[in-house]
Amino acid sequence: MKYLAQHSKVLMHSVILSSMLATMASADNGEDVTVLQVAQEQNALSGFQLAGYASFGYSNTKDVHDGSFDLVNFSPIFHYGYSDILQFEGEVEFSIAADGETEIDMEYAAANLFLNNYMSLTLGKFMSPIGQFRQNFHPSWINKMPDAPVGFGHGGAALSSNVGAALRGGLPKVLGIRHNYVVYVSNAYTLEVAPDGDVDIVAEGSTANNNGTAPTFGGRYAIDPIGGMEIGISGAYGKIADLNSSSNPDKITARDYNVLGADLTYHIGNFDLRGEYVEQNIGESTDPLGIEGGKWQAAYAQVAYQIDMLHLEPVLRYGFYKNPELEQKQTALGLNYLFSNNIIAKMAYEFGNRTSPDEDTGVDTTIKTDKFLAQLAFGF
Amino acid sequence: MKTLLKTTLITLVFCLNTLHAEENKADVMNGAQVWTDVCMRCHNLRQPADLSTRAWKFSMNHMRIRAGLTADETRDIQAFILQSKSTVDGTQ
Repeated sequence: MKYLAQHSKVLMHSVILSSMLATMASADNGEDVTVLQVAQEQNALSGFQLAGYASFGYSNTKDVHDGSFDLVNFSPIFHYGYSDILQFEGEVEFSIAADGETEIDMEYAAANLFLNNYMSLTLGKFMSPIGQFRQNFHPSWINKMPDAPVGFGHGGAALSSNVGAALRGGLPKVLGIRHNYVVYVSNAYTLEVAPDGDVDIVAEGSTANNNGTAPTFGGRYAIDPIGGMEIGISGAYGKIADLNSSSNPDKITARDYNVLGADLTYHIGNFDLRGEYVEQNIGESTDPLGIEGGKWQAAYAQVAYQIDMLHLEPVLRYGFYKNPELEQKQTALGLNYLFSNNIIAKMAYEFGNRTSPDEDTGVDTTIKTDKFLAQLAFGF
Repeated sequence: MKTLLKTTLITLVFCLNTLHAEENKADVMNGAQVWTDVCMRCHNLRQPADLSTRAWKFSMNHMRIRAGLTADETRDIQAFILQSKSTVDGTQ
């Protein structure tokens, strides 16, 4: 009996000890696995990252009283990289239309092959390198106003994207001045008549051959002469596919097309200065009944100042947009509150007007487009 | 045509090899300078602690393309950010 009691005691101690050892061992294994996973992730040649930005807000045009929560945008950006050889980037923009439908746009999707210290090859759909706004300033957490300057949104004078190939990179410093460049070749854009009768340059990259319309060649060259500043000039040349030949609706005609752009950015202390000009020129049609050629041009200048102690940033922006059918001018005052460097609440009031021919009389008529906007934007 | 293709391939391989030969050179001081000169031009600076070490690598390659950086400048900025991050995280 005594033996049995002693044996039971030993057995019980053994079970407890085994359980403790097993628990300790499993804890060690867990930590080992975690450390191993982290090490594997850090050292893996390839990997994936989800970045992007989103914004939500309200706008109200003064004379129309159409106030609503109409600023809803979510733009995830996918990054896949393989060592320092290749990086894929793709941005999808989700937004909600007035009828509640979800709109999805592929802003860009391109593979970038890093060829050497100074050059990478981009293939696919990429943001237009003409100017700076569409390429670098349009994300809502970067744009210091709740909306784009007039003429710099989709369907304006500024180009949105291209489908084609580009070589780009930074160049060696010369006399202490930093340089960078982009040269590209892409499919031709199209000239269309919208349902409301407006003539639109569709400056979005497409995969259409457009009856063999010649491709567009373009590029941008920029210098940073004093640090914190960039001065860029850009341009493109080629043909544009006119889809509205009046004498033969099925015929696509190629028309002369060129683009000029200039931009300046300067960040000094707490001041941030930005300015940009872009124009697209369409040659005259060979069709006597075709759409007239002309110039689409837009520009803006913006100054912002961050008051660090208060986390506030007042912004002032002036811009104009002009095409053969209309002219828009806008002065905007904004005030931002920075919860952090990538989470920003914005309020702005835009004083604007739009001049275009009256539909009935054909006489130029000017209407006010004053607008209040509020937005919360963040990047991730 | 074949000669052109061969020449292009050899050039590409040479370029890639050059890139690999340049690995592991990082000038943290230059990275700090380029970081302030280039990044702030477009956007508010992200804190080193905002992203993981791994995410910074993808973000820096993204910025290499967008900001027109050289590979050396990209590595320098990344080295500066990761050094700052390790100090903030207390891992150094």
